[in-house]
Amino acid sequence: MIELAGLTKAYVDAGGERVVFRDLDLWAADGEIVVLLGPSGSGKTTLLNLVSGIDLPTAGAVRVGGVALTALNERERTLFRRDQIGFVFQFFNLIPTLTVEENLLLPLELSGRDTAAARRRALSLLAEVGLVDRAGEYPDRLSGGEQQRVAVVRALSHDPAVVLADEPTGNLDRDTGRSILALLERLARGAGKTLLIVTHSEEAVSMADRVLVLRDGKLSTP
Amino acid sequence: MTLLRRASVRHLWVHRWQTGLAILGVGLGVAVVLAVDLAVSSARVGFTLSAETVAGRSTHRAEAGPAGLDDGAYRRLRSVAGVTAAAPVVEGEVVARGPGGPAVLRVLGVDPFAEAPFRRYSGDRDDRRHASVLIGDRTTLLTSSTAAVLALDGGDWLGVEVAGRRDSVRVAGLLDPADEASRLGLENLLVMDVGTAQAVLGRRGLDRVDLILESDAAVADAAAALGPGGTIVVAGAAAGALQDMTRAFDLNLRALSMLALIFGVFLIYNSVTFSVVQRRRLLGTLRALGASRRQVFGLVLGEAAILGLVGAALGLILGLALGSGLLRLVTRTIEDLYFVVTVRELVISPATLAAAAALGIVGTLAAAAPPAFEAAMTEPRAALLRSELEAGLRRRLPLLSLAGLTLAAVGMLVLVVATGVETSFVGLFGVILGAALLTPQVTVLLMRLLRPAAGAVLGVLGRMAASGVAASMSRTGPAIATLTVAVAVTIGIGIMIGSFRRSLVDWLDITLSADVYISAVRPAGALTSTLDLRAVAVLGDDPAVAEVRRYREVTVPTPAGPVDLMGISIDSRLRDHFTFLDGDVAELWEPFVEGSVLLVSEPFAHHRRTQVGDTLTLQTERGPESLPIAGVFRDYGSDRGLVMISYSGYRERWDDPTVTTMALILEPGADRDEVINRLQAATAGIQPLNIRSNHRLAEVSLSVFDQTFAITQVLRFLALIVAFVGVLSALMALQFERVRELGVLRANGLTPGQVWTMVASQTGIMGLAAGMMALPLGLGLGVLMIEFVNRRSFGWSIDMSAPPDLILQAMALALTAALLAGLYPAWRMARTSPAEALRGE
Repeated sequence: MIELAGLTKAYVDAGGERVVFRDLDLWAADGEIVVLLGPSGSGKTTLLNLVSGIDLPTAGAVRVGGVALTALNERERTLFRRDQIGFVFQFFNLIPTLTVEENLLLPLELSGRDTAAARRRALSLLAEVGLVDRAGEYPDRLSGGEQQRVAVVRALSHDPAVVLADEPTGNLDRDTGRSILALLERLARGAGKTLLIVTHSEEAVSMADRVLVLRDGKLSTP
Repeated sequence: MTLLRRASVRHLWVHRWQTGLAILGVGLGVAVVLAVDLAVSSARVGFTLSAETVAGRSTHRAEAGPAGLDDGAYRRLRSVAGVTAAAPVVEGEVVARGPGGPAVLRVLGVDPFAEAPFRRYSGDRDDRRHASVLIGDRTTLLTSSTAAVLALDGGDWLGVEVAGRRDSVRVAGLLDPADEASRLGLENLLVMDVGTAQAVLGRRGLDRVDLILESDAAVADAAAALGPGGTIVVAGAAAGALQDMTRAFDLNLRALSMLALIFGVFLIYNSVTFSVVQRRRLLGTLRALGASRRQVFGLVLGEAAILGLVGAALGLILGLALGSGLLRLVTRTIEDLYFVVTVRELVISPATLAAAAALGIVGTLAAAAPPAFEAAMTEPRAALLRSELEAGLRRRLPLLSLAGLTLAAVGMLVLVVATGVETSFVGLFGVILGAALLTPQVTVLLMRLLRPAAGAVLGVLGRMAASGVAASMSRTGPAIATLTVAVAVTIGIGIMIGSFRRSLVDWLDITLSADVYISAVRPAGALTSTLDLRAVAVLGDDPAVAEVRRYREVTVPTPAGPVDLMGISIDSRLRDHFTFLDGDVAELWEPFVEGSVLLVSEPFAHHRRTQVGDTLTLQTERGPESLPIAGVFRDYGSDRGLVMISYSGYRERWDDPTVTTMALILEPGADRDEVINRLQAATAGIQPLNIRSNHRLAEVSLSVFDQTFAITQVLRFLALIVAFVGVLSALMALQFERVRELGVLRANGLTPGQVWTMVASQTGIMGLAAGMMALPLGLGLGVLMIEFVNRRSFGWSIDMSAPPDLILQAMALALTAALLAGLYPAWRMARTSPAEALRGE
């Protein structure tokens, strides 16, 4: 479960204080798929960073799975993220010097859950996305769609409670993007994960339990 | 291996050219440090072992001045209560001529039956047997290895030559030293009975008596028994004094070798920084996936550890090879300037190897720590913009410059306040590092100046090249700093050596006032030799000779250790050829000629911290005598320092008629070459002599000088190579990182030729900037080296002279290094197809 209450985020730079959003509330239940729309620069990625504990709010509370992230220090937030969050990025961000299989196993190893059962599960996920025969290859041998499929599996390989996807189709063609979204939905729903997707894609809206729009620092429904 | 570590190792392999250059940088740095350490310590070990072998287990030694102790001194000392053991010693050098060819050997004349408590030559039983064979007339013992060099066997006769006199001794037996240390100590040594040694060396009396004394009272009693002409000194003091002589020389070499390592460390910093910057997105992803800061720090530092380990291993291999070459240069210099060194092979100790390897590894880790820390601080937001990184760096530039200024100022302060050679180097390194930290800020300013000029010459490509240097400061900064420092150090050392040479030339012009100089042909490697008195008489009798000067150079004991004393016959013409740094020139000559005052050289005054008005107590044959110092003169003849007394003053105090050098002033109009030929013919049957004109002597002195600095030049060159590798690595990293940008430009119509132009002009601009910064820094370093480091190391004051072509040289060096380093990246970039470039990594 994700709970954001009275969330304010502001940056101070040479031009003075820049408020991204003020007093924002958001709630997502376990297993819910929430799609977040909004124009560029509206603060969608910032919101994901706050949910994952990568960044801290200027004011307000962030609770994920009952854990108040704002009360944790940097190390504790890292450990929390390691266990509870799965990430899918726009640019895939696979580790180029690790094979596909190793990329999947990395979150497991980082979270200390690199057991034989976990490995089997990760590889079965890879089979599910039709890439088990590419397990030994390096990411640069894969197409963009294949890379993103691996990224989706990686996000789920360590069985996190929440999956955050930041423009997962932004770097893919329409058909490939659609298949990635379908994959995300299938895997997330199948595993009962909370999925928060930041996107411009209209296709994503159709699979969402709830759609929110972030504009001028306010959340609203479309 | 964890997945993180696996990813890390593969990253090193994927970027193997970058990894290879970093390893090469560390390897070369470690190799230079190790090679210098091995060469210097091997020369030192050789000297120490031979000094210890010859000194034996004595606690004290009785000695006198140049004339030595009379034979009765030994008898008197043996009768003193408290003298547990006493052994007479006669030492000297001979040219030995065996069937295997000539060799310079040391002679150790001993009383075989007094030796047992002092020196061991072989096993106990062998020593007793050897003692009995030495009693035979004209017999000698030597080690099997020395005999092998001379192609001798037991029973053979060996020809020996001292100051032109020929003699022969019979090899009574071969020594078989019990261990390697003894073997090295006894190398090139002829052990003889005292009487045989005296006969071979043409001496009377003893050089010293080795003593084992029980108490301070025994020391006093022994001194009393010795009489006024002798003195009792603690054994080992002489060896220590000799080692002190080369300390500054050793230190200068070590400092220069450290510079090569520092450049290597710069290279590692550069390389690791680049790999961190290059992988910012990847590190961000890892952080987002849950890798902790400590894990990221460990990841980067682990990569550096691999570079350090492999680099150190490479350095050890290269260092051993380089060390043998440097040993020849080091021993040649030490022999030219100081004393004979018997070691011809590297003495390799595990500790030396471990220290060099540790230095490389620790240096690498220290250099990698800041970028590793920066990597650990990477925010988990995966895609931090390059421009943000560079903007952050630019914001930090004033702070970096302030740190540089502070470090340089502290370095200057240390240089000015410190008195030791080591601390002077610390100060100098502080100045160098401070200047390196200032270079990024100065580069930004220079690029603003150079951009319009580059634009005027090369159009938009030129402007892009100049802007690119400032915009990529995280990559270009360390490369430009390394090149700047390397070129500046090269200029600094060049100025120091050039100024020194210039001062030496001026000094030789002034000092070599006589027309012809004569000295005995010094056997290769021998310390001194004297003129045969018959030759002295013949030389003075030539009708073309108007005036004769005699010089006698000896080592004399003083309470503060032995000093080099020169008795010099002075005339009005010679007086004008002294440059005094202290003392009343109008007043000092009269008492000097009378022999009542001394003159000391600048290095002597510096090392012994003496000045005009101080007194120096010399151990004369009449007993200790304190004489005032009336003047300090400039002298580049010896860095140990020299004390001068008038020749008549010397003869009054020492019954020593021998002459070390003669100088002749010819009648006006005499043909110098003709006279030299005549003198050579006249002395041919007496003694082989070096009879040289003052011009020829100046040439010989300068060639010794150039030989002395050969090793400095070699090390300077090696340091420059390491710096060059650093620049090459940085430029390649920079250009390969821009592969996508260049691909876009190529796709938009940039021709391969234009890619060449842009890459080459960017590296050229970097070289130009480095040259412009290196020039003032190099001049400054030259001044600091002359005024502080050189002065404190050797005690010489040098007039600075910077040749005007230095500016061109510095610019050419920096530009050439940068352009050469840019060749390969430019070639690769021009050949890369736009499609491939746009695909990126």
